[in-house]
Amino acid sequence: MRPVDPRLLRYAAAARAFFVSGGLLALVQTAAVIGFSFLVTQVIVRAIAGEPLDALAPTLLLLAGVVAVRFLAGWLADVNASRGSAIVKSELRGRVLTAVTQLGPGWLTSRNATAVGVTTGPGLDALDTYFAKYLPQLVLTAIATPLIVVVIWWQDWISGLIVTLTLPLIPVFMVLIGWATQAVQTRQWEKLSRLSTAFLDVVGGLSTLTIYGRQHRQAARIRAVTDDYRSETMRVLRISFLSGFALELAASLSVALVAVSIGVRLIEGGLGLTVGLFVLLLAPEAFLPLRNVGAQFHAAADGVAASSEVFDILDAASAASTEPTAATPDAASAAPAGPLVSAASGLAVRGLGVRYGDTVVIDGLDAQLRRGAVTALAGESGSGKSSFVAAMLGFVPHSGELVLDGRSLSSGDRDWLAWSGQRAVMIPGTVSRNVTLGDEAPDETAARAALDLVGGGDIRLDTLIDSSGDGLSGGQAQRVASARAVYRARRLDCAVVVFDEPSSALDAATERDLIGSLRVLAGEDRAVLVVSHRRAVLDAADEVIRLRVAEEVGP
Amino acid sequence: MKRSDVIRLAQPRPRRFLPGVFFGLLSALCAVGLLATAAYLITRAAEQPPILYLSAAMVAVRAFALGRATFRYVERLVSHDAAFATMPELRVGVYERLIPVSPDGLGRSRRGDLLTRLVADVDEQQNIPLRVVQPVVVSALTAVASVVVVWVLLPAAGVILLVGLAVAFALGTAVNAWIAGRAERELAGLRGDYQAGLADYLSQLDVLVAYGAAEGRLAELAAADRRLTRAQLSRAAGSGITSALVVLLAGAVTVLTLVAGIPQLGSGGFEGPALAVVALVPLAVFEVFGMVPLAWSAWRQASASAERIASVVPDTVPAEIPVDGPTAVRPAPTGPVVLRLRGVSARWPGATADALHDVSFEVRAGDRILVRGTSGAGKTTLAHVLVRFLEHRGSYELNGFAVSEYPVDAVRQVVGLCEQRPYLFDDDIRQNLLFARDTASDEELLAVLRRVGLEAWVEERGGLTARVGERGALVSGGQAQRIALARAILAGFPVLVLDEPTANVDPDRADALVEDLLAAAAGDERAVVLISHTPVPQRLVTATLDL
Repeated sequence: MRPVDPRLLRYAAAARAFFVSGGLLALVQTAAVIGFSFLVTQVIVRAIAGEPLDALAPTLLLLAGVVAVRFLAGWLADVNASRGSAIVKSELRGRVLTAVTQLGPGWLTSRNATAVGVTTGPGLDALDTYFAKYLPQLVLTAIATPLIVVVIWWQDWISGLIVTLTLPLIPVFMVLIGWATQAVQTRQWEKLSRLSTAFLDVVGGLSTLTIYGRQHRQAARIRAVTDDYRSETMRVLRISFLSGFALELAASLSVALVAVSIGVRLIEGGLGLTVGLFVLLLAPEAFLPLRNVGAQFHAAADGVAASSEVFDILDAASAASTEPTAATPDAASAAPAGPLVSAASGLAVRGLGVRYGDTVVIDGLDAQLRRGAVTALAGESGSGKSSFVAAMLGFVPHSGELVLDGRSLSSGDRDWLAWSGQRAVMIPGTVSRNVTLGDEAPDETAARAALDLVGGGDIRLDTLIDSSGDGLSGGQAQRVASARAVYRARRLDCAVVVFDEPSSALDAATERDLIGSLRVLAGEDRAVLVVSHRRAVLDAADEVIRLRVAEEVGP
Repeated sequence: MKRSDVIRLAQPRPRRFLPGVFFGLLSALCAVGLLATAAYLITRAAEQPPILYLSAAMVAVRAFALGRATFRYVERLVSHDAAFATMPELRVGVYERLIPVSPDGLGRSRRGDLLTRLVADVDEQQNIPLRVVQPVVVSALTAVASVVVVWVLLPAAGVILLVGLAVAFALGTAVNAWIAGRAERELAGLRGDYQAGLADYLSQLDVLVAYGAAEGRLAELAAADRRLTRAQLSRAAGSGITSALVVLLAGAVTVLTLVAGIPQLGSGGFEGPALAVVALVPLAVFEVFGMVPLAWSAWRQASASAERIASVVPDTVPAEIPVDGPTAVRPAPTGPVVLRLRGVSARWPGATADALHDVSFEVRAGDRILVRGTSGAGKTTLAHVLVRFLEHRGSYELNGFAVSEYPVDAVRQVVGLCEQRPYLFDDDIRQNLLFARDTASDEELLAVLRRVGLEAWVEERGGLTARVGERGALVSGGQAQRIALARAILAGFPVLVLDEPTANVDPDRADALVEDLLAAAAGDERAVVLISHTPVPQRLVTATLDL
């Protein structure tokens, strides 16, 4: 892990301001530490020299003031860090969401949507330790440690030399031990990760184990695996705790060496008590922030690992926005297609090609979707049916062009297209909100008509749905999704309507109703495309486009 | 299970725990001793005594320096080992309490998430000995020892230190609990809202973009984000206040000790070196004491985890979950099986209404029965009644005897289930099959894989040793169903229930999968109950039951 990921400063502009204020506070904290050590030394030395309490009162008051400053600066540094953490996380969350939206649904399906959600939510919360605990100490190390070392040099060069020589030992030892730990961990990684997930695996699979009557035997296995995990982990810890040991040892030995060397020179009279005590108090303070950095290192590394996934998404988005791809939605979309009358007009697909990496899914496909006709898209799994639809939606990068009534369509313009996907995605809220999605002035009558058309006469518009679809049966949800496409097609007068496997959860009678509604849409002078493997649907279509699994090209 | 049971299980035995405390105390005392002897050495040296007088102090300084680091290293090893040593007991303790209520006593929805959380919560418990008890005990003992030493040197300074530590303890506890506890409660809700909105947004992205509705949802999410961030900002003042207070008190104790100590100089053997020691020791003691506020944060987390474990693992088995009564003594029936349901109803634990109403049907060897119904009609409930995950009302007989006369495990030897989301263990294919019948040879395993249409797939992946990944991550929904069926065939259940095998399968593969599964499951006189919401060709089934 790098101490500070430069992408953090690039993507989270707010982080810079908190770095600056954190640096200023660190400066105040350092001054307070030096002042405290200096004043304590002054009071003790002058008291030993015989000065009474009255004479020392002003210095003691000053000391109390410094203690208060140290308290305030330390507190403010923490407040600053946690405010920074909250604002930076918010900024990153906003950017990730914009980036994911920009990369589009095609990109998201190539990832795991749940994983992206975890990365953006709880994953970023792991940055709290990094921001609130690790970075302030890192800033403090960068400011306090050199300043204090300079003061020690200035007061007593021999002590300065001792501290200067021992300080670099800490990072050197930590790096060496870090390598050793990593070597052990890599060797045992597979074993450790298997052991650590074994308990989860047994608990997660408990119902399956119960079906097979194996649930009672697992207790002994859990015990054995947990014992193994303990001994394997301890083997790694014995080495990884060495870095903490090296750090503590270097810090405390250095203080001891400084103390003994000062002691000897005091006895010989080569040094004053004022200098000696001051340096003794300062020496541990030079090591303290570094020790704290070490203590927070692992927690911070987790946070950085989590944030680097976020940065990967942001990098992907900025790479995508510099090269023109079809996956980029274009906010300024063209005006909707005007009224059209020619029956021969429709959507022409010319030389459509879709490839994921080296895998060609669709290669130079030409097709015509006529207005007024129902066209079916068929083909076995993997033949590119979904990619064809995704390309029309502009969700995946593709070659070739789409021509609507003689006009070439720009990618990102979707006003000509109404689409209902394979998955009946429900937005939490009423059925009405789902059917009129994207319409800023929803029309209940049109929504009712759309539902009725797709055989959803039994579904009430005010029924509440949650995001898991609870409230509707699977078949009802599918009809609501179809009605959504019908509503949009009519409101925006879309030239093309696409249904992807609209009848997978429907029985034969409802399927017939649905086929009837495709016919009605086509009769409204639209080109209707239906993706299906159902015989009844294919038989009812005016035309069938059959896709075949493309030959794979070698890498 | 009560929270205190969980916490007690997580606490190591004294024999294992005390060595950690011992070494921790030694390390803390060395830290205090290092500063005390160094301060003494330097102030005494300024009086320029013969060097011989100070050689002991010089040795002590070096020894304390070495001791602090060494004992700390030993302490961490010993205490981690002790904390790990409690894990088998705790894990097994929780697991054994889960067995009688699993799966349906654990809540119906999001059971997977719940169990993942449970496992993380159980593992969190090792922080109780490690980050709560140990630091508090070590800090307290170090504080007592330091107060005694300072009190011997100057009683007034001892009192000041004692009061300072007591105030720090009270503030560190109270302020921390008040501020941080309130912040966590308030933020948890806002964070949950945002998280839920985010998950929804990502899962709906394709529809939102296609319908031009993404911007509106993004704005709603941004508003939730602003609420969360605003709450975090207003809570920021509470963060770090306790550790800053500890620093403040350390400084205050030093100042007060100097005020009390300076007038005493020269009287009763209280000399310069002693003043330096009593004034500086508090700095080191408070540094050790800084662990206490951290311990409280760790305690809040661990005890919330313990609370969640306690709430998940019930004390008593709910009435809706079958348990073996005194009459459950019949051995599992062998040979052909007749399964008869008459007027069976069932409900889920905690539910107020029945999920399954008055169902009657009969299953004989060789039958293939299709159970249809919309979501919510009780299809999965029926499956769970059949394998005795759920208790029922009405009559459910196996070979003419009520199922309650058989132990639940005996019923499950006869009636098997392929779940909607089959669980695949993070192991190779062989182990995922073998637990169904651990005497099966590789030839038998390959034969059953051929039967469910997975032979080529397994070969392509390098045979039976191919791994299926965590929670079957490397396997598609259809393949998982086939593996689950292969398992069930190996186990040789005379009656096999398939619960929505196509629920997580692409629509264009679903029909083929149903045909394959039915073809593979049939035979051996096995009866199959297929639960499905999608249409199934009538030629594949012998009877249909509509729920």
